Amino acid sequence: MFPDPGSLGNKNSSSLMLCSLLSTSELEMKYGTSIDKGLSSARAAEILARDGPNALTPPKATPEIVKFLKQMIGGFSILLWIGAGFSWISFGIHNYKEASRSHQLYLGVVLALVVILTGIFAYYQEAKSTNIMASFSKMIPQVRATVDNSSLTGESEPQSRSCDFTHENPLETRNIAFYSTTCVEGTATGIVINTGDRTIIGRIASLASGVGNEKTPIAIEIEHFVYLVAGVAISIGVLFFIISVSMRYKILDSIIFLIGIIVANVPEGLLATVTVSLSLTAKRMAKKNCLVKNLEAVETLGSTSIICSDKTGTLTQNRMTVAHLWFDNQIYSADTSEDQTTQPFDQSSPTWTALSKIVTLCNRAEFRPGQENLPIMKRVVVGDASETALLKFSEVILGDVMSIRAQNRKVAEIPFNSTNKFQLSIHETDDPQDKRFLLVMKGAPERILERCSTIMINGKEEPLDSEKAEAFQTAYMELGGMGERVLGFCHLYLPENEFPETFQFDTDSMNFPTSNLCFVGLLSMIDPPRSTVPDAVSKCRSAGIKVIMVTGDHPITAKAIAKSVGIISATSETVEDIAKRLNIPVEQVNRREATAAVVNGMELKDMSSEQLDEILRNHTEIVFARTSPQQKLIIVEGCQRQGAVVAVTGDGVNDSPALKKADIGIAMGIAGSDAAKNAADMVLLDDNFASIVTGVEEGRLIFDNLKKTIAYTLTKNIAELCPFLIYIIASIPMPIGTITILFIDLGTDIIPSVALAYEKAESDIMNRRPRNKRRDRLVNQQLAVYSYLQIGIMQSVGAFVTYFTVYAEQGFLPSTLLGVRVNWENNAINDFEDSYGQQWTHYQRMYLQWTGYTAFFVSITIQQVADLIIRKTRRNSIFRQGLFRNKVIWVGIFSQIGIALILTYGLGHVTALNFTPLR
Amino acid sequence: MASNASTSDVEGQLRSPSQKVENKHEEKVQDPDREKHEPKADMGSKTWADLAGEMKIFLWNPEERTCMGRTAKSWGLILLFYFIFYTCLAGMFAFCLYVMLLTLSPYTPRYRDRVSPPGVMIRPYLNGFTIAFNVSQPNTWQPYMDSMHHFLAAYDDKVQEEKNIECVPGQYFIQGGSDSEEKKACQFKRSLLQNCSGIQDPTFGYSRGQPCILLKMNRIIGYRPGAGVPVSVECKVQKGNESHLRSVDFYPGNGTFDLMYYPYYGKFTHVNYTSPLVAMHFTDVQRNHLVPIQCSLHGKGIINDLNSDRFLGRIIFTLSIGK
Repeated sequence: MFPDPGSLGNKNSSSLMLCSLLSTSELEMKYGTSIDKGLSSARAAEILARDGPNALTPPKATPEIVKFLKQMIGGFSILLWIGAGFSWISFGIHNYKEASRSHQLYLGVVLALVVILTGIFAYYQEAKSTNIMASFSKMIPQVRATVDNSSLTGESEPQSRSCDFTHENPLETRNIAFYSTTCVEGTATGIVINTGDRTIIGRIASLASGVGNEKTPIAIEIEHFVYLVAGVAISIGVLFFIISVSMRYKILDSIIFLIGIIVANVPEGLLATVTVSLSLTAKRMAKKNCLVKNLEAVETLGSTSIICSDKTGTLTQNRMTVAHLWFDNQIYSADTSEDQTTQPFDQSSPTWTALSKIVTLCNRAEFRPGQENLPIMKRVVVGDASETALLKFSEVILGDVMSIRAQNRKVAEIPFNSTNKFQLSIHETDDPQDKRFLLVMKGAPERILERCSTIMINGKEEPLDSEKAEAFQTAYMELGGMGERVLGFCHLYLPENEFPETFQFDTDSMNFPTSNLCFVGLLSMIDPPRSTVPDAVSKCRSAGIKVIMVTGDHPITAKAIAKSVGIISATSETVEDIAKRLNIPVEQVNRREATAAVVNGMELKDMSSEQLDEILRNHTEIVFARTSPQQKLIIVEGCQRQGAVVAVTGDGVNDSPALKKADIGIAMGIAGSDAAKNAADMVLLDDNFASIVTGVEEGRLIFDNLKKTIAYTLTKNIAELCPFLIYIIASIPMPIGTITILFIDLGTDIIPSVALAYEKAESDIMNRRPRNKRRDRLVNQQLAVYSYLQIGIMQSVGAFVTYFTVYAEQGFLPSTLLGVRVNWENNAINDFEDSYGQQWTHYQRMYLQWTGYTAFFVSITIQQVADLIIRKTRRNSIFRQGLFRNKVIWVGIFSQIGIALILTYGLGHVTALNFTPLR
Repeated sequence: MASNASTSDVEGQLRSPSQKVENKHEEKVQDPDREKHEPKADMGSKTWADLAGEMKIFLWNPEERTCMGRTAKSWGLILLFYFIFYTCLAGMFAFCLYVMLLTLSPYTPRYRDRVSPPGVMIRPYLNGFTIAFNVSQPNTWQPYMDSMHHFLAAYDDKVQEEKNIECVPGQYFIQGGSDSEEKKACQFKRSLLQNCSGIQDPTFGYSRGQPCILLKMNRIIGYRPGAGVPVSVECKVQKGNESHLRSVDFYPGNGTFDLMYYPYYGKFTHVNYTSPLVAMHFTDVQRNHLVPIQCSLHGKGIINDLNSDRFLGRIIFTLSIGK
């Protein structure tokens, strides 16, 4: 780890630049230190006291108790606390005035318990989801960063460090090493110029924590829903408080009505249900390799309208693979899929035999031992990316490469270096008759060609004339144009007479020919797209999600990959393409005609935010290439300015601000750094873009299912509320008790509403556009009106039929019940006359009233079963969706009926619960 | 459950307009490129004036001629829909109740298990179960006396003789015939209550500090109390000094409800039925004390010790007689 210079901003970059410009002695002067001795311990202590230890300030965490208390007072809890408070107040007043009215006390206690229990439950769910995260992160294979700057810039190539000032940008210059990066090889001495939070990574980390944690869309929706329901509860409550006061009810009674109305209106169990549904989805997503850190992020993915995706590792396989070959004047393409076992191209030509020999021999990469049982593509290789690709390629085609190499003993070798730009080795041949040495060479194609005088065509050496050179150029351009890294291969059989068997090759003096070689062919490599990605991209497209590629790679490579995965579709053109096709300068092209755009990081740097907005608006297929990590943040902000819900994928530390800024940050589980995982809301365990699409589907599904759950839950609120209103207005005996309501909300209805979270997706889920944050609310007018004014009213009517039936069968005909409330509830009247002339004691009436509660309860429960079946679908018909595809629904229905039976017959004799056995 | 059957219809009706709305949204969304960048709708940044303006537009939008987001036609249609919808619901509700009532007999309720065994009430009953008066102050017992006279008016011998028949004592007066046939009621003459009839002593003993209290058993259709043996009444001091209650006289008989007054056939056929009474004459009660008294029924099938119901087969009241 290097301590490093800090600052990304302009203010400090000048001083940084100064540092990088200064000579060693000047630096020693500036920092009062010496290269050999370091700081004096007194000075070191002084600096430590000034700057603190060389560590990043950890982000501030919310104390657990605060989180817990938030659960206790958030959402509907406050309403229920008010209800409980009123109960206690009314109990207090009653107690003062007359004896024993303890059920107000009970009610208060029950309400408080409900709040506390749901609070604990929600807190537990939140805590549990974090625990899932923690345990999973241990499972993620920790790929050690073997490259130095990758955690900072995301570049995967190791970079060399020297004393030379090479670039104005501190991130690019060669004479500064950074905190948090690792040294892969070699040694160096440096002077610490910044520590802790003042380092680049410290700045990035503070940038990341500075980017506010925006509320997730689902949190906004739930808040909206809570406001809506609380608004309805309070306004109906207050309205009826006024009505009951003006109907000359006692203030105390009116307060009790108010509590009843609040309790009836608040779906007590709903928030817990939502939490459970979200965590169920989170678990399901974890199974599909999307690990969700923040429960609410589950849904955010579903409302995503733009995905800003990394290229390397997410869209691609993150390994170089041979994609094309050129020999015998012809381009062959190779299989680049993840699990190749053979190569389909024509291998009969003798040129291929020669080429394959060069590929096999001129290669220093080796498999780690002990992996013979693994598929070739999965084996670990010691060597750089290109050599690995070539090794695996030849292993697939030729079989055991190592034994081929052993048969062709290597006698001399010149490894690749950046001055030569070639790699060379000399081998004995495996043909015992042939005593010649074989010189094989690979390298940058143009350099290799320079050294060749002949070219092999169909196994025969032919002179390399200008026509053949032209063909080479065309092929080289074509492969390069596909964004592939091209290597040239050539060989030479050293004449036996000049180089006898005993010849000593000296690589320093190069006592062997390195020109007039025979050119054999080209191989080009690319990090190929994952095979699942094109399908996933097209799914995104039909789901109305724009996929934007943001990569540090070269624009040509980026564009090639974008084309091959469908981010840029086959028919669309960039401005440059149009210019090329029409043969006009780029400036004359009508920008509106181009649907695709490849934007270079250098262009982006000079763009104003309006220009960026214009690009984001006018092009549907966008690739940002050669972008710096900071530009990613700018792109995300640009997308958000369009009102989009943006998902961002990233793996490096440098990505963390963008991950944090995004509506949903998705970190890579395998390649991702811890900082990225911390900043992200979600971790892709397999680094695969296709998993995001599964996540989107799950996210949309949960939004749909939450809609169903809420509609289901809200419906019965009306059936719980109407009794109070009619009780107040018509003065009938109370149809349903507050405690009974709580038993519906927290008893029978809980499992069915969770069961709706298991509902399968409806047919159009991935064919509609992402929901619009501002318009497609979780709870909209239609849903509320449909639940409240239609199904809810029907349910109330049904329940009232039951209520009147129970009373009528016991002797109180509906006409008798109207207006009886005062006498009915008077506990001194013990000869209350029913419609048949029978006389009832107060307790007998109360018992009948509880029977009424129970009947009302059962009626709502049964109707909720029907409601559950209605709510199974929103668009599909119930037959299309299938009644039995979601088995959990049936568990829900049976649990509902079971709980109702237990309450009615099992607990029917516990008077405090106000349930009585029914016939 | 019948109401659920119509659900799908209603849903269907609702679906189509809602889908139209969604489609409209989709059309708009389909061209997000051309859509103007909407200003950030932050609740926090809105001023009250903005809100008021929005509210005004919401209430009446002169451009689109909409009130609360709907045009007059739209309002008309939606109200018509709800009118028809609710009318149908109300009709269904009424129909269900009508059918339910058809299944019930007008003379006998289907179930009588919640109302039996019988509860007990006393007269006079004014505000509660404390009967307190001072002998020397007639205005303290006058209300009790009036209440008794009022209650016993229906038991006047003349009225009883006129409306009801004499029955054979000691056996249930079972009347056959169809349910709808008018049933005869047995005479319960006020004079049976002797000292508590208010005939000889119109003050029911209150003026002498020996108050009469009438006890009646709740009417239950078809109920035959005591299963052949008349139910009797017994009074004692409840949780107190038992010497405070020295003697109680019961009328008629020894404080029993004669079998001939049962069973009761319901108020439509047993029109003139008058509940039998037992008068309790508290002839010697400790003065100037609150004397809690529990009078309970005794007989087969009578429950008088249920904790939750203090009026089932018993009644508790307090006598407080002053000088």
